[in-house]
Amino acid sequence: MRHYEIVFLVHPDQSAQVPAMIERYKSTVEDAAGKIHRLEDWGRRHLAYPIKKIHKAHYVLMNIECNQATLEELESGFRFNDAILRSLTLVQKEAITKPSAIAISGNDGQKTSNRVKEEVEEEVEAEVVDVAEVAVEVVPE
Amino acid sequence: MARNNIRRKKGCRFSGEDALVIDYKDLDLLGEYVSETGKIIPSRITGTSAKYQRQLTSAIKQARFIALLPFCDSHK
Repeated sequence: MRHYEIVFLVHPDQSAQVPAMIERYKSTVEDAAGKIHRLEDWGRRHLAYPIKKIHKAHYVLMNIECNQATLEELESGFRFNDAILRSLTLVQKEAITKPSAIAISGNDGQKTSNRVKEEVEEEVEAEVVDVAEVAVEVVPE
Repeated sequence: MARNNIRRKKGCRFSGEDALVIDYKDLDLLGEYVSETGKIIPSRITGTSAKYQRQLTSAIKQARFIALLPFCDSHK
């Protein structure tokens, strides 16, 4: 049993099928006594360059532990699935369970929402400072 | 001399203590080692040690393959 990290890109029109696809791959891995250590759905992201004249794709990351036969089954599944634009498989030395950098930073849509949150926090801090100043003024009296 | 105003300190950020981990998914980090045209910046300029420059190169190439980073700036 080896550890693998798989990323695959799904056609944006087939985004709705992604949960079903994940479920199917999950069962193929688990039926062969493998394990899924990390599963991330990065959602629809803008591609750095168009692939098959498509500008966006749905990204899924899986860190799995499985045997050679299962991996071959998965990879041939990727190859013959028209919804999958591209896939990348890497061998890892150990199971990785921490959320990845992309999952933390979020996709294009979530980035803006994070920025909004930061602005709100700054405003709250500013108010706190105001209150502190008022308190200082009150004390000498 | 105002030869290069924003000259960052040179040195390998991946070797030594509290070193950074090279990962093809860390786009903010990889972006610092790619030029505006999308080329990988040579270690001679960034000061990255040879061992980590090799890891960095493969990470950038993996990120390019899954379209997280561009190969060049003229993709259309």
